[in-house]
Amino acid sequence: MRLSILLILITSMLFSCTNINPSNNAEDVTNLTPEKAPITSCCKPTEKVSLTNIPSESIFMLDDTFKTQHNTDFQLSTLKGKPTVIGMIFTNCTYACPRLTSDIKNISKNMGIRKDKVNFVLISFDTERDNPKQLKKFANEMGLDSEWVLLHGTEETVRTLSVMLNVQFEKDADGNFSHSNLVSVLDKNGVLKYQKEGLEAEHKETNSTLLKLIL
Amino acid sequence: MRYILILLISATFFGAAYAQKKVVNSEKKMLVISKGTYKPFFVTKSNKPIPVKAFRMDETAVTNSEFLEFVKANPEWRKSKVNRLFADTNYLRHWENDLSIGKSNQNIYHSPVVNVSWFAVQSYCKWKNKRLPSIAEWEIAGKGAPKNIKYSSLTDYILNWYKRPNLPVLPNVKSTYQNIYGLYDMHGLIWEWTSNFNSYITSTDSRGNNSDDQKLFCAAGSLNVVDKSDYAGYLRFSYRGSLKGNYCIANLGFRCVKNIN
Repeated sequence: MRLSILLILITSMLFSCTNINPSNNAEDVTNLTPEKAPITSCCKPTEKVSLTNIPSESIFMLDDTFKTQHNTDFQLSTLKGKPTVIGMIFTNCTYACPRLTSDIKNISKNMGIRKDKVNFVLISFDTERDNPKQLKKFANEMGLDSEWVLLHGTEETVRTLSVMLNVQFEKDADGNFSHSNLVSVLDKNGVLKYQKEGLEAEHKETNSTLLKLIL
Repeated sequence: MRYILILLISATFFGAAYAQKKVVNSEKKMLVISKGTYKPFFVTKSNKPIPVKAFRMDETAVTNSEFLEFVKANPEWRKSKVNRLFADTNYLRHWENDLSIGKSNQNIYHSPVVNVSWFAVQSYCKWKNKRLPSIAEWEIAGKGAPKNIKYSSLTDYILNWYKRPNLPVLPNVKSTYQNIYGLYDMHGLIWEWTSNFNSYITSTDSRGNNSDDQKLFCAAGSLNVVDKSDYAGYLRFSYRGSLKGNYCIANLGFRCVKNIN
């Protein structure tokens, strides 16, 4: 009898072993990924956003979920319908970032009454410190009106977006970020149309591009 | 009778467990790279040496055969279906078609897969429950001294490789040297993608523009380079800087890494 109990114990142990050791995680992932699914940085299927009628080169294809400064979920495809100005920043930045933000504020100002026909988006490199609360504080300090969207994402999502926008960045040993200063303009469908590098750059063309894209 | 039955049942489970083990064994071998410090190639006041935790790294680069399994399981990564945003027109151009490397290409089944974009290889590693190495991780692993070849210095060895034109047929993995970590072909076969290839090595309060490139590559600015004799490292640094996420290049492949828990 003791022998049989022992055997049952051994077999059940083996059984549990095989259970906790799925042979192929990959299969689970593939089953979940429908054909032609937008490619996400996290291989998850999309359910919430319909990407029909969006060109395949649209940045909205990145369907990861961000958090806004109001702590609500946000996907880039929400920006559909208006052209978008995007800057990548971090709020602890003492020099370049407020200036990049000011540059985008100027672009907004130069749009005049038509500024509400454009999305203004800032995305933070600093996935650790720039939580929604900090982003809200920054928005207030910089005097950004309520139409501006400030986004917090995971390290991977932010890296993927930076690659899509050709923004170079690196975290330094002191927790700050070295990065290129790039203002990107997307059309109404999220397709990258124009980029301008540099701080206090001449943004005449940024504005004229936006005016064309509004139509 | 009951004992026999139980024995039979347990034997079945042993069999099942054995089969499981076989599956695990067919996985790519990974080797431990102990923790270290990566000195960024270009020194400024803000980029200090980066401490790197120990991690596991694929023994070899991912091969064409291995990548084919991924493409079979993930239709969106087939040649004909891939989104141009994520891979340019050179994507897997050396393959016969979507699901075949090609019978006439049997000599590259076990060669590193190349002509793959950053988005594609990132997705591959994720599919394997792994990730791409960072520049710091890759460079630490790549510094491992060769143990089965004669060489005067690793830099000389690498420069000798850089000097040679690409071979018409890319050799198999494990065809160059193995280093002290047990990794094969860290140099000498292909260039490899890193997760943060688009990093920007300059000071935080940069004014942007291209002045930083000048600082790095021209005249007095290049004095900030840590090891001026590491010309090979300098080339890797500028090579990475020239890439974009959807680029597919004939000598650029990858291998994955994993955290150690």
